[in-house]
Amino acid sequence: MKATVINYGVGNLFSISAGLKRVGFEVSVNSQPEGNEDLIVFPGVGSFNAVASYLSSHKELLKDLRKSGTYFLGVCLGMQIMFEEGTEGGLTKGLGWFKGKVDKIENNGKDKLKLPHIGWDKLIVTDLTCPLTEGLNNQYVYYVHSYVAYPEDESIVRATTIYGIAYPAIICSDNIVGTQFHPEKSSKIGKIFLGNLYRWMKK
Amino acid sequence: MTAKRIIACLDVKKGRVVKGVNFLDLKDKGDPTELAARYEDEGADEIVFLDVTATIEGRRALLEVVKNTASVLSIPLTVGGGIRTIDDVSTILGNGADKVSINTAAVENKKLITEAALQFGSQAVVVAIDAKKVDDDYKVFTRSGSYNTGLSAIRWAKEVEALGAGEILLTSIDRDGTREGYDITLTKMISEAVSIPVIASGGAGKEVHFLEALKVADAALAAGVFHDGVIRIQDLKMYLKSQGLEVRL
Repeated sequence: MKATVINYGVGNLFSISAGLKRVGFEVSVNSQPEGNEDLIVFPGVGSFNAVASYLSSHKELLKDLRKSGTYFLGVCLGMQIMFEEGTEGGLTKGLGWFKGKVDKIENNGKDKLKLPHIGWDKLIVTDLTCPLTEGLNNQYVYYVHSYVAYPEDESIVRATTIYGIAYPAIICSDNIVGTQFHPEKSSKIGKIFLGNLYRWMKK
Repeated sequence: MTAKRIIACLDVKKGRVVKGVNFLDLKDKGDPTELAARYEDEGADEIVFLDVTATIEGRRALLEVVKNTASVLSIPLTVGGGIRTIDDVSTILGNGADKVSINTAAVENKKLITEAALQFGSQAVVVAIDAKKVDDDYKVFTRSGSYNTGLSAIRWAKEVEALGAGEILLTSIDRDGTREGYDITLTKMISEAVSIPVIASGGAGKEVHFLEALKVADAALAAGVFHDGVIRIQDLKMYLKSQGLEVRL
């Protein structure tokens, strides 16, 4: 299966490409979708406003591909921009595929919460029937972020992680998948997730 | 709770791993890509490459190594050493590193921290602070530990956080290479002063040293003890877990 990793012009795209290749995808990196791929990947590099403005120039094309059944994977920021709006770098509109906003991780004040949240935390799978979450419950995955998604529709959440608050770690709706963690940086567990995605798409 | 991280550091010179003791006396330790992959298998949470060559050829060799390593590694990779400009940052991240670690240039050109954070995100910007005790205060040293900036370490740590750094890599020059343990006083002081993660570095010799450091820091970095096989990361993590620390096994 073919995957296109979208190059917004900044950051490391090697890791996500290598991670996808390792589980069987044929990967290319391009500044826009090629139109014939099975999976379009929004990598987790850059800042919300920069990436959102970049993607908004392809908004119609992305919408058409999404409707035609092309799969999408958004990683970290790449997932966040699928929501309606984000506050990082000033209030910016996202793609609006999911209802809700992206904002700083709330601190309930009990602990001094270090931000950015950098490191390994456990996934709590909230939908054990979802093929994407197989083998992931209670496993450590790697995070680097200060912002999280606050979805209006909780039913899209397949797994959460707790850091101050419980926030969405894996979301899925129809052909759109998003992860707040970095599967390409999460060693063996990240590979399991990407393998799950590959098999799920193949069915 | 976020797991405490164990970070393996590889000093890279002309594309090969070397080890520094008190920043001197370098010894060839092999191929960086191979070593990085081995450490991932053994349970390292992160890899740091410190480029100790400052020449153009050395830099080219390093970029090649970064590229090769990024395509086999699936844990985060940080690259530091000789990063002076925003173009350096861009090139290193573009070749597959997840973060850059900036040391001397951060002190000499503070704007670099902010520019890099704005362009690539704070999470990609680690500021390395080399501190040494001078008359009951910790001072920031640059240029591979040879130059006393006169800056107080605690004030500098707070400043780099405000400038946009995402993490602090804190090395005790006094302890580096001694295997006598991390400087806990220094580490605790800096960790309590900032709200970004702090990585303790310099002085690891025994498993208990990591335990002490991780009680006050978010991550602990070591090089020689891993390269020499004195401590195996897998055993270290089992030990830390048995002592009640949260680690990824």
